[in-house]
Amino acid sequence: MGYDMELTALILLPFFGGIAALFAGRWGRDAERWVAILALGLALLILISSFFSTGDGRWIALERYDWAPSLGVQVILAMDGLSGALLVVSLALGIVSVVVSWKITEYPGLLNAALLWTVAASNGVFLSFDLLVFAFFWELMLVPAFLLISVWGHGDREAAALKFLVFNAVAGLGLLAAVFYLGATGDRVTFDAFEVAERQIPHGVQVLLLLGFAGAFLVKLPVPPLHAWLPDAHTQAPTAGSILLAGLLLKTGAYGLFRFPPMLFPEGFATLAPFGLALGAFGSIYGALLACGQTDAKRLVAYTSVAHMSIVLMGICGGVYFSLMGAGVEMVAHAFSASALFLLIGALYDRTGTRDLRELGGLQQNAPRFAAAFAVFFSAALAMPGTANFLGEALVITGMFQVNWIFASITLISLVVSVVYATRLFKRVVFGKSRRTEALEDLTLREMGPIVLLAVATLLFGMLPQMLMGALEGAVEAALTPVTVP
Amino acid sequence: MPSFPALVPVILLGVGAVAAMLAAPRLPGLSRWIAGTALVCASVALALRLGAPASLSELLADDRLARLAGLGICLAGLGSLAFLRPAGPSKEGPALLLLATLGGTVLAGAIHAASLFLGLELITLALVALFVLPLDRPALEAGYKFLILGAAAAATLLMGLALAHAATGSLALAALGGEGVLLALAAALLLAGLAFKFALVPFHMWTPDAFTGAPGAAAAFAGAASKIAVVVALIRLDAVGLPEVWALGLAAFGGASMLLGNIAALRQDSLARMLGYSSVAHAGYIAAALGAGAASAPAAAGFYILAYAPALLAALCVATLLGRETRIGDLRGLVWSRPLAGAALAVALVSLAGLPVSAGFFGKYAIFSALIEARAWLLLGLALLGSALGAYYYLRFVALIFRRVEAPAHAPLRWTDGLLLALATGVTLLLGVRPDLLLDLVRTALG
Repeated sequence: MGYDMELTALILLPFFGGIAALFAGRWGRDAERWVAILALGLALLILISSFFSTGDGRWIALERYDWAPSLGVQVILAMDGLSGALLVVSLALGIVSVVVSWKITEYPGLLNAALLWTVAASNGVFLSFDLLVFAFFWELMLVPAFLLISVWGHGDREAAALKFLVFNAVAGLGLLAAVFYLGATGDRVTFDAFEVAERQIPHGVQVLLLLGFAGAFLVKLPVPPLHAWLPDAHTQAPTAGSILLAGLLLKTGAYGLFRFPPMLFPEGFATLAPFGLALGAFGSIYGALLACGQTDAKRLVAYTSVAHMSIVLMGICGGVYFSLMGAGVEMVAHAFSASALFLLIGALYDRTGTRDLRELGGLQQNAPRFAAAFAVFFSAALAMPGTANFLGEALVITGMFQVNWIFASITLISLVVSVVYATRLFKRVVFGKSRRTEALEDLTLREMGPIVLLAVATLLFGMLPQMLMGALEGAVEAALTPVTVP
Repeated sequence: MPSFPALVPVILLGVGAVAAMLAAPRLPGLSRWIAGTALVCASVALALRLGAPASLSELLADDRLARLAGLGICLAGLGSLAFLRPAGPSKEGPALLLLATLGGTVLAGAIHAASLFLGLELITLALVALFVLPLDRPALEAGYKFLILGAAAAATLLMGLALAHAATGSLALAALGGEGVLLALAAALLLAGLAFKFALVPFHMWTPDAFTGAPGAAAAFAGAASKIAVVVALIRLDAVGLPEVWALGLAAFGGASMLLGNIAALRQDSLARMLGYSSVAHAGYIAAALGAGAASAPAAAGFYILAYAPALLAALCVATLLGRETRIGDLRGLVWSRPLAGAALAVALVSLAGLPVSAGFFGKYAIFSALIEARAWLLLGLALLGSALGAYYYLRFVALIFRRVEAPAHAPLRWTDGLLLALATGVTLLLGVRPDLLLDLVRTALG
């Protein structure tokens, strides 16, 4: 493996693409959007080509060079199957979000820049193994996402954006403090995660540091009671913002939990994992029940995200092979299905001006393509066999049975509730009658593109799970920390 | 004896101040140009000799630390000059700013009680005059408060120096180390005197008034340039080995400032007043790190104040641009009506909040690491709490800057303002990507 910069390019291309998009408006109509797609497409090509390179055992690609040596900061980028899968998600959703916001005419330069910067920062999160650089990207993600909600959102968008930012920035402080602690207490100042992982950290300190890390991850995930920012942020965000929030930002929280606690604080993680399981169990029921009570379609999907990400949390904290694999699969699957639902609801909202379930209906007669698309992603939301979501949740439940049957049955109950909210949403939107949808324009070609892409991904990984599971193998093996719950 | 080149910046500033003062009544424009040229020349003179060998005299040190801090002070002075508005009948602004800068450079090199006092008072007196320049009620109030409190602080400082002299028989700062009741009392009084200039709780009362009442440029100088000088004085005194009460007091004042400054800033709707209270909190972070006494604290303090200065300058420049009364609602859609001002203010506030990609993120890194290194868990907790509060109140303002507005009114920008905003934003972002550029400078300066 030579000294190449493909992983760096995955971060820098979207970043500089964003700067170019900022000023691209003067080059021609829609230039900023094409610049954005070009940058993301190029990054996607680089990413895919790197999959074919011969990796170095555990890592598909690894890059390491100095950034600010006097601060002990290095750039350590490493990609395994988990990061690779999430990077595909990130770049693909980036393109989707550019396409769905094609018609937004307010400040398109900054809009596309913010989309690209969100992607760039989360790519940095998925790749960095220098903890300070990780924390840097972690915090950086908030800024463009904040802009997305605050400038192009709906309703009381500034309040929602501020809530999002403050919740996550405050939670990020714990991560920062823990990272600084790790940097300052070694033999020399270093944030190299691989080096930190070899240290013998006393158990009590591990627990404290892990709490700092986990605080940031759990807020981003989010798991109740730390989820208060999510429903507002999702609801007020523009469609592209919701897509990136649900598809990317939530995944960074899950990724962080998947990657770092078992690696850096194995004993501390073993101590705290039962609490994580309990939180996840609570969240999966709580999110699902609240989803059943929503009348705003976007809010409903937001709460289902809480439920699904709580299941991911249980999978990670379960620490056995099946539950971890399930968590990994569910992360990818949920990224596709949740963003597709946000896309559909956004498109519906653009046409009818409402997201209220009581006012919607009749898509089946009036807009069959809409109805079909909804059908696919409803089945994903209730984890119908054949979708990748089913695979993920089934694996988590299988794993849970190895850990503790109470948690396994709670997950099952949450699945049952998910059938309730998904069929309710489906019934309200697709069947019935509504004056609002009588003259509804069906999905256009530009909207069908992303939908088909997301549907294919959802079904493909559901039908041919080996591809995804094979890729996740390495990361799962590394995260195995069996816990025994009494 | 310091060589002649070492005195060039001081001479330039002094002569420039006199020339600017003479030119002020007839040719206020020329006076401003003289001040600008003197500051640029002094900065260049300092920058060229940044790495020259150190030499000490009785009064002034000509070492890397003094030169780096002097450079920072001159540049911050230049930045303040850029948005110093001609105010009413008085035209002495540029000359006074030069005098204050001169005081700052003297203080940065001060290694003797006399030069310490001289530097501090030169800044204070010049700033009092600068504060009252507009000659209206709020300005007079700010100046009056600063004068009265400053006089009390000066008396305290002098008393501290006198006691230190009584205890050690010397007025050289390096000889003040030791133990004893007398020296402890001296250290406490010294600290109180410096804490006033550094706006630490409980000596911070002048700050919010200065930020709202005085001209923005004067407040910026008080918040950025003069604090760089005071940080150097604190670092030098820290290394002397004063009695325990010094470090303890510094940590206590720092902790109180972080807490109260941030809490007070939380509820401010006026941009300038928020910046004023938050500057108390930022001073608190620095004082806490120095007080905790980690080996890396001086470098952290130096980095932090130099990274803080451009953000404060940019923010206060925008506050001046929009008028002293700027409230949070007036920022609505600023980035669309005045893109440069809006973007600069947003970057500055993000930096003050300590988010990437900005200098403030690494400033936070430096301070937190110093506190962790010193095992100062209580102070670390306060700093974390402060940052959490800061994230909220800064970003409240940022949120409005980006609000969509129908048909924003475009307004032109003065070229000096524009240049300052562009440079300050550039520096803030650059340090957010390459913090080592500045940190290495600070570390070599500290030796």
